[in-house]
Amino acid sequence: MRHVLALMKKEFLQLQRDPRLIGYIIMAPVVLLILFGLALKLEPENVKMAYVDRDQSMFSELIKTNIWNEGYFQLYEVADEAAIIRDIRDGRARAGLYIDGNFSAELTDNKQPTVHMYVDGTMPSLATAMDNKKAAITDDKVSSQMYFLEPDSENITIAPEPFLLDMQILFNPEKRETWFFLPGVIGVLIMQVALILTGTAIVREKENNTLEQLIVSPITRIEFILGKILPYVLIAFADFYFILALGWLLFDLPMPASHMSLFGLGLVYVSGLIALGLVISTLSQTQQQAIFLSIFVLIPSILLSGFIFPIEAMPTYIQPVAYLLPFTYFVEIIRGLLIKGSDLAVLVPAYAALAGFAAVFIAISIIRFRKTLG
Amino acid sequence: MTGIIETEGVTKRFAGVPAVDGVSLSVSSGEIFGLLGPNAAGKSTMIRLLAGILNIDGGSARVLGHDLVIEREKIKSEIGYVAQSFALYPELTVAENLEFYSAIYTPISREKQQLLLKQFGLQRFAAQRAGLLSGGYKRRLSIACALAHDPQLIFLDEPTAGIDPVTRRELWERFYELAALGKTLFVTTHYMEEAERCNRLAFLHRGRVVAEGTLATIISSFTGHSVYSVASAHNAALAAGLLAMPEVLLLNQFGDRLRVITDSSLTPESLQRVVRRHCDAAIELVEPDIEDVFMALTHERGRK
Repeated sequence: MRHVLALMKKEFLQLQRDPRLIGYIIMAPVVLLILFGLALKLEPENVKMAYVDRDQSMFSELIKTNIWNEGYFQLYEVADEAAIIRDIRDGRARAGLYIDGNFSAELTDNKQPTVHMYVDGTMPSLATAMDNKKAAITDDKVSSQMYFLEPDSENITIAPEPFLLDMQILFNPEKRETWFFLPGVIGVLIMQVALILTGTAIVREKENNTLEQLIVSPITRIEFILGKILPYVLIAFADFYFILALGWLLFDLPMPASHMSLFGLGLVYVSGLIALGLVISTLSQTQQQAIFLSIFVLIPSILLSGFIFPIEAMPTYIQPVAYLLPFTYFVEIIRGLLIKGSDLAVLVPAYAALAGFAAVFIAISIIRFRKTLG
Repeated sequence: MTGIIETEGVTKRFAGVPAVDGVSLSVSSGEIFGLLGPNAAGKSTMIRLLAGILNIDGGSARVLGHDLVIEREKIKSEIGYVAQSFALYPELTVAENLEFYSAIYTPISREKQQLLLKQFGLQRFAAQRAGLLSGGYKRRLSIACALAHDPQLIFLDEPTAGIDPVTRRELWERFYELAALGKTLFVTTHYMEEAERCNRLAFLHRGRVVAEGTLATIISSFTGHSVYSVASAHNAALAAGLLAMPEVLLLNQFGDRLRVITDSSLTPESLQRVVRRHCDAAIELVEPDIEDVFMALTHERGRK
């Protein structure tokens, strides 16, 4: 028992003398806890809804007001029905509402007009939630307001359902969870491989003392970095296509029309992550530290990128974190490419963001390397 | 005699504290130069500065005729460096390690690799993982790897630390063979017997050179001190009594003989008198050896 205590004391002393480890042990859980505590809300909120109101009547206004008051949607007007679909495909909206021009006329004639709703099926959680919200929009409280008193008429019969709601799920009509998750899972796996392998690969040289041996050799810094990262670039790329192929074979994951766009995505994403792995390796003295740092990047990426929960449903003060994660853009692009069939032009900003991350990480890794090897 | 290494006031500080403090050395072609010093004297720092792993903060140095700071890249392919720790890839086999280290310089043929393995008695372990080798064989492999590109100048940081005497002797045979081929070896050690194997030596203490030259010149320049051998086993009272004398510099117990290093102003008679108070041991004035010099030099500095 005395030995155990002595060992424990020594271990705590070691921890105490390693300020970085303190950061990993205390800071990381605190930050993660706060982030997730704030962001983990499964109920969709602030869902952007594009609408077209051809009727422009008191009744159509009432429907929109009721939807607003649900508190889940933010409505904005677009030109026509095609624009609704386009906005949902391009990610500007998650849902849409279309009210036909003769809505109020049919309503007063008791003809049960139909209001059309659209929802982005690539987010099955949203589509499911919308199914539940549907009732709230057409319930008795709403229905009871759907008439106006004509002073001359004595008796008005209100149909139990004065109007119908038609909800159409776009892009993933079966609400297949795999289609929702799989494209993101590809990114998570690539991230794991790229970050942890690259992060530990250089740290291992430090641990084996072989780094010093390489410094005295004629190998240049660039040669060293390339020689260390290229294997992992290749591995990560191979993994990228391997997992895509598995998704296609096992889950009927659609393949994009343009293979160049997929390759380009792999290129900017993998190179950014490998460079981030390099940065991690310069910050770590041991492989454990490198793995810990990688996980510190991985977990927020998984939870805050829109991979599981829609970003717009997160509190506004958390949303900037999502946009600081490369994975956010990866998820946006790969869902666009594989499931929505988005135009490449729409995804350009996300591609640019990923390329920007790669450039920044590469620059930091080179600067950091100059310092550690200098 | 051309200067393979010429340093002038080389200084290196870590967090403001000098680890190497104004070291000026000259190492000639084809010699085995030994850098001696206690732990933390700055030996490893000095060797790492000369090998180009660390940057010097002050002074200047030329290695193989090239400026250490400006022409570092020219130096790299001509030097070999054996770190104190085993810089090997434990997952790779012995042969793979050698092949890798040869490949990052000018790759050498399989035959030459085989020859190197044979010279270091490693051929029967060629297919074994380096991580599974014993300490002695790891050391042999580290040295073989550093020699794969046939460097002109080889830095060896405590090459025989923790190695059994038989392996140590074998390694020294290799070192002499290399020197005979005209290679220059720069070796750090804290084994005194190894100091005697070097052509020339420098004593490093607290980052400064406190003595430099051949073994004989260093010992002969050790003036102002006398060394006595007292035929006494460990005796705490005797030791305390001797250390109380202002002329006694330090004591060093070897089994049943106690070496006493004193200021030369101390007469044998007065030493004998103090010894008699504690025991009936004979005293004898002896020639100082390298260890006495080493102890005295580092001790003296320590007191100031």
